[in-house]
Amino acid sequence: MRRQHRSRRAPTFPHGYRYRLDDQDEANQNYLADEEEEAEEEARVMGVPNGQGQPTGNTWWQKLQLMNEYLWDPEQRMSLARTGQSWSLILVIYFFFYASLAAVITVCMYTLFLTISTYMPTFTERVKPPGVMIRPFAHSLNFNFNVSEPDTWQHYVISLNGFLQGYNDSLQEEMNVDCPPGQYFIQDGNEDEDKKACQFKRSFLKNCSGLEDPTFGYSTGQPCILLKMNRIVGFRPELGDPVKVSCKVQRGDENDIRSINYYPESASFDLRYYPYYGKLTHVNYTSPLVAMHFTDVVKNQVVPVQCQLKGKGIINDVINDHFVGRVIFTLNIET
Amino acid sequence: FQKKPEMYSVELSGTKNIEKTDKGDGKEKHRDLKSKGWNCRRNHQIQEIKEELNLNDHKLSNEDLENKYGTNIVTGLSSARAANLLARDGPNALSPPKETPEVVKFLKQLVGGFSILLWIGAILCWIAYGIQYSNDPSSSLDNVYLGAVLVLVVILTGIFAYYQEAKSTNIMASFGKMIPQQALVIRDAEKKTIPSEQLVVGDIVEIKGGDQIPADIRLLSSQGCKVDNSSLTGESEPQSRSCDFTDDNPLETKNICFYSTTCLEGAATGMVINTGDSTIIGQIASLASGVGNEKTPIAIEIEHFVHIVAGVSVFIGIIFFIITVSIKYPVLDSIIFLIGVIVANVPEGLLATVTVSLSLTAKRMAKKNCLVKNLEAVETLGSTSIICSDKTGTLTQNRMTVAHLWFDNQIFTADTSEEHSNQTFDQSSGTWASLSKIITLCNRAEFKPGQENVPIMKKTVVGDASETALLKFSEVILGDVMEIRKRNRKVAEIPFNSINKFQLSIHEMDDPNDKRFLMVMKGAPERILEKCSTIMINGQEQPLDQSRAKAFYTAYMELGGLGERVLGFCHLYLPADEFPETYSFDVDTMNFPTSNLCFVGLLSMIDPPRSTVPDAVTKCRSAGIKVIMVTGDHPITAKAIARSVGIISAKSETVEDIAKRLNIAMEQVNKWDAKAAVVTGMELKDMSQEQLDELLANHSEIVFARTSPQQKLIIVEGCQRLGAVVAVTGDGVNDSPALKKADIGIAMGIVGSDAAKNAADMVLLDDNFASIVTGVEEGRLIFDNLKKTMAYTLTKNMAMVLPFMLYTIIEFPLPIATVTTLFIDLGTDIIPFIALAYEKAERDIMNRKPRHKNDRLVNKPLVLYSLLNIGVIVTLGAFVVYFTVYAQAGFRPSALIGLRVKWENNDVNDLEDSYGQEWTRYQRQYLEWTGYTAFFVAIVVQQIANLIIRKTRRNSIFHQGLFSNKIIWVGIASQIIIALILSYGLGSVTTLNCTMLRAQYWFMAVPYAILIWVYDEVRKLFIRLYPGGWWDKNMYY
Repeated sequence: MRRQHRSRRAPTFPHGYRYRLDDQDEANQNYLADEEEEAEEEARVMGVPNGQGQPTGNTWWQKLQLMNEYLWDPEQRMSLARTGQSWSLILVIYFFFYASLAAVITVCMYTLFLTISTYMPTFTERVKPPGVMIRPFAHSLNFNFNVSEPDTWQHYVISLNGFLQGYNDSLQEEMNVDCPPGQYFIQDGNEDEDKKACQFKRSFLKNCSGLEDPTFGYSTGQPCILLKMNRIVGFRPELGDPVKVSCKVQRGDENDIRSINYYPESASFDLRYYPYYGKLTHVNYTSPLVAMHFTDVVKNQVVPVQCQLKGKGIINDVINDHFVGRVIFTLNIET
Repeated sequence: FQKKPEMYSVELSGTKNIEKTDKGDGKEKHRDLKSKGWNCRRNHQIQEIKEELNLNDHKLSNEDLENKYGTNIVTGLSSARAANLLARDGPNALSPPKETPEVVKFLKQLVGGFSILLWIGAILCWIAYGIQYSNDPSSSLDNVYLGAVLVLVVILTGIFAYYQEAKSTNIMASFGKMIPQQALVIRDAEKKTIPSEQLVVGDIVEIKGGDQIPADIRLLSSQGCKVDNSSLTGESEPQSRSCDFTDDNPLETKNICFYSTTCLEGAATGMVINTGDSTIIGQIASLASGVGNEKTPIAIEIEHFVHIVAGVSVFIGIIFFIITVSIKYPVLDSIIFLIGVIVANVPEGLLATVTVSLSLTAKRMAKKNCLVKNLEAVETLGSTSIICSDKTGTLTQNRMTVAHLWFDNQIFTADTSEEHSNQTFDQSSGTWASLSKIITLCNRAEFKPGQENVPIMKKTVVGDASETALLKFSEVILGDVMEIRKRNRKVAEIPFNSINKFQLSIHEMDDPNDKRFLMVMKGAPERILEKCSTIMINGQEQPLDQSRAKAFYTAYMELGGLGERVLGFCHLYLPADEFPETYSFDVDTMNFPTSNLCFVGLLSMIDPPRSTVPDAVTKCRSAGIKVIMVTGDHPITAKAIARSVGIISAKSETVEDIAKRLNIAMEQVNKWDAKAAVVTGMELKDMSQEQLDELLANHSEIVFARTSPQQKLIIVEGCQRLGAVVAVTGDGVNDSPALKKADIGIAMGIVGSDAAKNAADMVLLDDNFASIVTGVEEGRLIFDNLKKTMAYTLTKNMAMVLPFMLYTIIEFPLPIATVTTLFIDLGTDIIPFIALAYEKAERDIMNRKPRHKNDRLVNKPLVLYSLLNIGVIVTLGAFVVYFTVYAQAGFRPSALIGLRVKWENNDVNDLEDSYGQEWTRYQRQYLEWTGYTAFFVAIVVQQIANLIIRKTRRNSIFHQGLFSNKIIWVGIASQIIIALILSYGLGSVTTLNCTMLRAQYWFMAVPYAILIWVYDEVRKLFIRLYPGGWWDKNMYY
């Protein structure tokens, strides 16, 4: 009897009393629609444990069962509280939403990237002032080797040889032009035109070219280290004042290094190698190098060396960055 | 079987009776059966208070009492003994409920909510550093800092939340210690006034009218002492007290006065038999702490939200940890990644701002006279679906007021509004002139002197409630009553007493030529009529015949049926020849006629509803809140008030009404046809739990009359069983268990007792029901607004978590650092969170049904829409900016893919970009920071749009008004300013990972912000166009 009353007057138990309240507000109809549906759902959910006669208790097992039912409810054929139809609908909607979103974003990106030249970077201030790197380089800036044990320095030689392959005279003569030294090699014209590159021949490095001494001095305890300035598109050292390289002992007795030979002898990067026009058009550009030949260094002792770039517009004392305008490495040559 | 007596079977008859009868006769058997239904429920929460009922001091003689308490009735206790007893029993005050130690409260804040996740994050940070350190002792301390920052965040938010909570508790503390009560006590044979806190058992105290009873007192002598026991038993009628032992039940016997009740009139001397917590009221108050305090709905909702977020972040974190480890990432990277996911997912600042929003609302509510003790109760009020309200003082003005008059065979209605300004009934009749004279003269009430500038209705009056009503009524209409009384000198008077049931006085005429005396009389109408032989119609005396008497009874019944207290008025001019000026009237021998008088009229009084209440009840009704009246008053009065305020609406009928209309017996009426029900305490007592549930579920308009405060708890529990969120008002100490049990207990600020205020979640400063409704409105608003806040917060989670995922999968440089996500959570988003709390309601929130219990704060559509719709747009927008920054610096997107390992390698100082330029590690690092900043700025810019769209959930922003909420704009400004400061002001502080960003990158995300806005407007448009449709169900949160 009571059950009947309830079903007539108050359909679901916990929220039944709400249905007794007059609803004058038409704008709320959708709320009601929601509510009714939720109530139905609730009735369904509540119906299951009632059927098993265990409406109370909150054991793990029951939670697990509820969870399982949530994941896949065989009676309603629902997974995650959605029927197959509902799932397909929402997936279709989301597919279209993401498709159109992807289209919008793609169009945006495309137009945006049309404005960004592929030949010249838009801003170069992040990569300026130029960084410096040395060769040979294998994970470490500490050069430890024993002159009498080729195994300890052989990898430097291999590394240098490999690095200098692109500088072979024959290759340079074939690919690049011999441009006049001491002035910029400026090539006007459209930015998408191919640019010519100036020759930097391996032979410029003299004793450190590996041509005369295939061990680059490592076998005699006079190692060659090549210094390379990072490429920056459009970078031009101040006119008439090419960037120079100078090395000295970073900390400790300055006399630990008694002499260094630089190749080319000017110890500078000639102006003709600038500016750089970027990898797409300046295909055969080879970075100019300065080789440092440490001909007389104290042996059997760690010697910290700092090589700096010097010139107008060059910064070599950024605290956080040990590779801008300078490079610090150690030599420990054992005999 | 020995049945254990329980508090709630005490009611008025007391447990003692049950206990006694249980032992012997079976007369009480059926009573037991009936109370069984309650037992199962009571057991879990109601403690026995058997000790209380062992009280037998009322049975003892004075000598026994003296012996028992070692005192002397004449000289009282000695000071020394009193001091000893005070030390033994403690002060005579109710001990406040147990407080959680402050340290525990604080520690709870440190581990609650998201804090656990952040602790995990911090520990992972330090583990990561440990691994780093063991590999390379010179590794950077970034992870240590990050861990420290996380811990700092936890501690700061903990302190903040703790502070907020402490502040709202302090509101209560400052709520005013009651002025310390004084008690007049006899000690060392001397009368002394001491603070009542220092009373001890055995003290002899004197009380007089107006005093609060300072402890449980056994009376030793009494002079017309009457007490108001309403706070204990719910009985509103004054009860006389004497030193006679009249009843076994201590609650009923006349020789005991109870702590915290009031002595209304007379004087008495008594001995203190219980003090402080051992008083009856103290024991009931301590029951309140036995009733469980349930979690507030908003606490459940926020917990739900925390669970969702924590679940999602742990899920993603673990899954990706496994993935990254299994694809041979270094464990260190995986851990750092895990930290990133956790920190990005957790809205660190959110919970603190939720507290701020709630306390802002609490402040707003305090302005509207709802003082919220417990911040979370702010929202509870909004989800309230049933309000159980007191009548007196809450729904009514708590003062008798003249409501109707009957003279010249006509009923006139008087103005009962609070101002009482204009009485519009016809005052031209001669009858009125006579009636007004009787009202004025036959009245002993007087205004207290010195209130010339106080409005009449607010003046304090010495006198009982009805006389006060009549005095004010006549003062309003006739002007200076005291002057009129002076002109009509009183020569004799018989005050009202319950045997005569009338009051009489004899006056000289104000016309000096008229030597007659005027005798005026008022009293119970039927008694007055008996004494009359004529009746005044239109100023003329007419014989009182059958038809006129019938008219009188009709009017009397009608007014009585309105639940009003009716008084009859008559007069007689004593002829000058029989009663010369010098005649000496003797009220004892009654040497003057008291029959064959002239009946003049009837006047009826009621405690009228507050003028704002009917509106408030209507509002509740449209808001789907059921208002139940629970009162100790007579059912007829209760029903009349319920009708006049709309708790029982005009059209609905009770079973009795139907029976009357159809002229059938009440049993024949189908009780489900009656929408309304008036249930008395007696009926309630005989109901089973199921019957009560049925009653509550099936009648939409219910009035409980003649209920004791204890029964309130039963009603509240019944409502809660229906799944309702119940608000309960209360003032007495006895209400405190119900206040505690209710989802939100509302104590009365003016008349409420401290115990009630302690047990309540909210204090109604003006005792006005209408204030509750404004509170409900605020509560609903804050729920809606918190929903918006949650949606706003969740959105950017996508934009903070997705980068971490893509970073591991696609391996481009990290788009946004963990620290930067903190800038959003704890920097730019803070004020917008709070700003949303100021948002006005989208539409009439009071036309909505109360919130479903499974209508979550954070529901599925909200999560899906925030994360998978807006969140995805925000992420994509931010990525566009990120890619642009990298492309314009030299790394086009194609070059970025898979670059991560080389990019992060400290040894690579000549990494080539898309243009052939070579980058040192630090230059890349700096670019990465620029990327963070750009990503951050892009999120901020889109969050501005996100903030604007969250102003509404359904309406167009333009409908709501773009500038309707100024604080939103403050929020937007704060976002921009914080971002500007981080980028330009602190751009050089490397640990913050921010850089100065080129101006154009600030505007890069604007199109996506606009896209968000447009998309959301479209969403809202569809929701409005197809209410209830698929879109509405899935996209409306």
